[in-house]
Amino acid sequence: MPESLIQVEHLSKVYRVPEREPGFKAAVKSLFQPQYRQVAAVQDVTFQIAAGERVGLLGPNGAGKTTTLKVLAGLLYPTRGQVRVAGQAPAQRSSAFLRQIGMVQGNKSQMIWDIPPLDSFQVLREIYGVPTAAFRKTLDELVALLDLGDLLTRPARNLSLGERMKCELVASLLHRPQVLFLDEPTLGLDISMQQRLRKFISDYNRQSGAAILLTSHYMADVTAICDRIILIHNGRKLYDGALGELSERLAPFKLIRLALANGTNHEAPDLPEGVKVIEKEGSNLTLRVARQDAPGITSALLASLAINDLTVEDPPVEAVIDRIYQEGSVA
Amino acid sequence: MKWLRLIRTFIVVSARQETAYPINFWISLLHALLNLGTGVIGLGVIFSQVDTLQGWAFADTLALMGVFLIVSALRGLFIGPGMETVAGLGQEVMTGAFDFVLLRPVHTQFLITFRTWRLFSLVDLTLGVGVLVWAMQGSQIEAAALLLFAVALLAAVLAVYAVLLAMTALTFWSPGLMLGWVFDAIFQLARYPVSIYPPWLRFLLTWCVPVGVMTTIPAQAITGENVLWPVMGALGAALALTVGASWLFSRGLRRYSSASS
Amino acid sequence: MNLRGGIALIKGTWASWMQYRAFFFVLAFGWMVPPLVSMLVWSAAAGADGIGGLSQAEFTAYYLILILVNQITYAQSNWTMGDVIREGGLNTWLLRPMPSIFNVLASECAGKVVYMAFVTPVAVLLALVLRPEITVSPDRLALALMSLCLAWALRFLWGYWLALLAFWTPRADALLALQDALVFLLSGVAAPVLLLPGGLQTAARLLPFRYMVGFPVEILFQNAGVGEILSGLLFQVFWLAAAAVLCRVLWKAGLRRYAAVGG
Repeated sequence: MPESLIQVEHLSKVYRVPEREPGFKAAVKSLFQPQYRQVAAVQDVTFQIAAGERVGLLGPNGAGKTTTLKVLAGLLYPTRGQVRVAGQAPAQRSSAFLRQIGMVQGNKSQMIWDIPPLDSFQVLREIYGVPTAAFRKTLDELVALLDLGDLLTRPARNLSLGERMKCELVASLLHRPQVLFLDEPTLGLDISMQQRLRKFISDYNRQSGAAILLTSHYMADVTAICDRIILIHNGRKLYDGALGELSERLAPFKLIRLALANGTNHEAPDLPEGVKVIEKEGSNLTLRVARQDAPGITSALLASLAINDLTVEDPPVEAVIDRIYQEGSVA
Repeated sequence: MKWLRLIRTFIVVSARQETAYPINFWISLLHALLNLGTGVIGLGVIFSQVDTLQGWAFADTLALMGVFLIVSALRGLFIGPGMETVAGLGQEVMTGAFDFVLLRPVHTQFLITFRTWRLFSLVDLTLGVGVLVWAMQGSQIEAAALLLFAVALLAAVLAVYAVLLAMTALTFWSPGLMLGWVFDAIFQLARYPVSIYPPWLRFLLTWCVPVGVMTTIPAQAITGENVLWPVMGALGAALALTVGASWLFSRGLRRYSSASS
Repeated sequence: MNLRGGIALIKGTWASWMQYRAFFFVLAFGWMVPPLVSMLVWSAAAGADGIGGLSQAEFTAYYLILILVNQITYAQSNWTMGDVIREGGLNTWLLRPMPSIFNVLASECAGKVVYMAFVTPVAVLLALVLRPEITVSPDRLALALMSLCLAWALRFLWGYWLALLAFWTPRADALLALQDALVFLLSGVAAPVLLLPGGLQTAARLLPFRYMVGFPVEILFQNAGVGEILSGLLFQVFWLAAAAVLCRVLWKAGLRRYAAVGG
C-alpha cells in the first residue's frame, strides 16, 4: 500500500503550562519553585489523508484543532506518536518538507505591512527559490482566480481584512504546495467574502490537486469546502468520515415537525412514549425521537392526532455537533 | 550564491519599507545628529576640566567615540532590526507571526539575521567614520594597525551579534523580557574606555557583557597600541560567543515549538 | 475639579501598569544609564584631587541623587500624547466629565510609582557599593524639595506643550527628542552645570532645561551659593509660568482645530 500524503499515528501533544497564583508572594515563589500543570491538547489521535483530499478539522475552542494543524506543519513537536507529511517528519523542518506545505492563519499575517503585496511575494519567491517564469504563471492564475487586480500594488496596511486574506492565500500558494493548511481562514470576514474564499479554495483544490486541511468555527466553511470531516473534542478524535454520515452515526435521532389541526388540544397533546418536545410555537411542534422509532411513532401520531402537516428530518449538522460538544462524547 | 541573492532581495524590500514614510528620514537624521552632538560635546565638557582620563587623552577618547558610533551603526544596519523584528515589543514572538518564519525553507537563524535592514544606519556609519577620522587627524596610522583595527572591529560586531542573538533566544522562554533594550542600555557604557570603570564593573563588562571587546580594543588598535593578543583573544571570544548564542537560539526554537499554542 | 475621579483613574492605570512591570523596569533602567555613565566618568576624572570643588565621593552623591530626580521628573506620558491625538484616544478623554490633563497626570503618577519601585533599590545598592558623601543642612533640603516639585511641574508642562503640537504636525515627538538631548547637555546630566565651559554654562542658566533636573540637586551642594539658588528659583518659576500659559493656549487652539478637522 502506498504511503498516504499525511499519516498521523497515536499523536499526543502535552503542554507544560506554568501555574502561578496572583500576588507578589506567589510571584517570588514562582521564581524559585515554578509550578507546572500538564495540559493534554491532543490525545492519541490517528488518521490518514490522501493527496487531493479536502478535510475539515472540527471542534469547539480548545479542542486541539490548531495544535494538530501546527504539529502537521512542523511548528510544534509532537509529545508522542508518529507524524509524516509528504514522506517527511514535520518536526525536522527540512527544506524539502517546507517546500511541500503552505499555511494560512486567519489571525496572523505574513504580509510586510508598509509595502505592496507584490513586494512581499517577490521576497517569498526568492525564499522558496521559485523560477521567475513559474512564479509569473502561478501569480497570474491566482490573481485571476481571486480577482486581485490592483490590490497587488497598494501597501498592505491599506488593504481591508478580506483583501488581505486573499493576499495571504496567494502568499501561501506561490510555491505550489502539495498540502495547504488553513487555520480559521475566514475569521472576521463578511458573508460574501467568506463565500468567495470558499469557492476559491474548492476551485484551487480541483485545479491543483493539493490536499486541504481546514479548521474553522464556521460550519458553512466546512460544508462548502470539505468532503470529509474529523471531529475533535477535548483532544480526542470523535468522528472521522463523510460529512453526510455524521448525523446518522452521531445523532441517533430524527426530528418530527408537526402542525396540529384546529380544535386539537394544543397545550397538552396526547403524545406516544419516547417522544421529546424540543420546540413549541402555537400549533406547531418539533419532536425528537430515536432514529429507529421514527417510523412507528410517525404512524402512531397520524393515527391519534388531527394533523395538518408532518415532516421527518435529520437534525442540522450544527445541532448535532453542538450536542456532541455539550455532552462531550458520542451518545 | 543563493544566500547573497536572498540578502540582496531583503535589502531592496527593506529599503522600500523604509521609504514608505519620507518624514522618518528627517526624524532619523535629527536623532543621529543629536546622538553625535551630545556624545562629542559631553566628551568636550569632561576634557575642559581634565587633560587625560585614566591615561586616555582627548583624541584617543574621541577615537573610541568614533568606534562606538561605528559599531552602533553596524548593529543598527541589520543585527538590531532583525532581532527587534523577532523579539521586540509586540513583534513576532509575541504575536505568533514567528510561525511564518519557521515555515520558510531557509535556515531560520540566517533568515532572522539578514531579513530586516535599516539603511539609514549608513548615515550613522558615515558620521562615526567622520568622528574617527577627525580624532585621528595628524597622526600616522600604519597598515598593520589598520589591519588589526579591522579585525578588532569584526570581532566587536560579531560579539554584538552574539549577545543580541542570545537575548533574542531568551525571549522564547519569556516573551515579555525586553532584553535587547537592556543590552542597548548597557552598551552606552562602551562610549568610554573600559579602564575608567571600577574593578567590579570592568570585570562584568569584560566577561559578562563584553563591551570592552566591542569598542575599547578596536580603539586601542587604531591608536597604535600593540594589542595583537587582545585582538586575537577578542576574535576567539566573539567566535565562541557566536557558537554559544547559535546553540541557545536553536534551543529557543525547540522551546517555541514545544510551548506555543 | 473632579479629584476622586482622578484618583480612581490613577489607581486603575497603576494596576494595569504593574502587569507589565518587567517592561517598565527595563525602560527605567535605560533612563538611568546616561547619568550613571556620567557618574562613573566624573568619578574617574576627579581622582583623588576632585574637580571644581567636588570630591570623588561628592560626584557620586550628586549623580545618585540626580538619577532619582531624573526619574521623578521624567514625563514619559508626553511621548504617547501624539498617538492619543492621532488614533482617536482623545475622543474617549473628551467624553469624560473631567479635564483631559487628568488622564496624562494619571499615567504620570502611576508610572512614577512603578519606576521608583525599580530605581530606588538600585540607587540604594549603588550607594552601598560606591560610598557617596554629602552633608546637607535642613534649610537646603527644604529648598531642594521645593525646587524638585517645581522641576517636576516644569518638565511635565514643558513636554506637554511640545506634545500638544501633535494637533498640527504628525511627528511632534521629534521635539521631545530634542528636549531630551538638551536636558542631557544643559541639565547637569553630562556634567554638573557649574562645571560647564563658558558659553554652555550661560545657556544652561538662561534656558529652562537646567531647572528640570539638575538645579534641585545643585541646591544640596555647598558650592552653589545663596544668590545662585535664589536666582535659580526665580528662573524656575518664570519658565514654569511660561510653560503653563503655552499649554493653556495650545490646548484651546488645538481643540478648536481638532473639532474642525476631526480626529
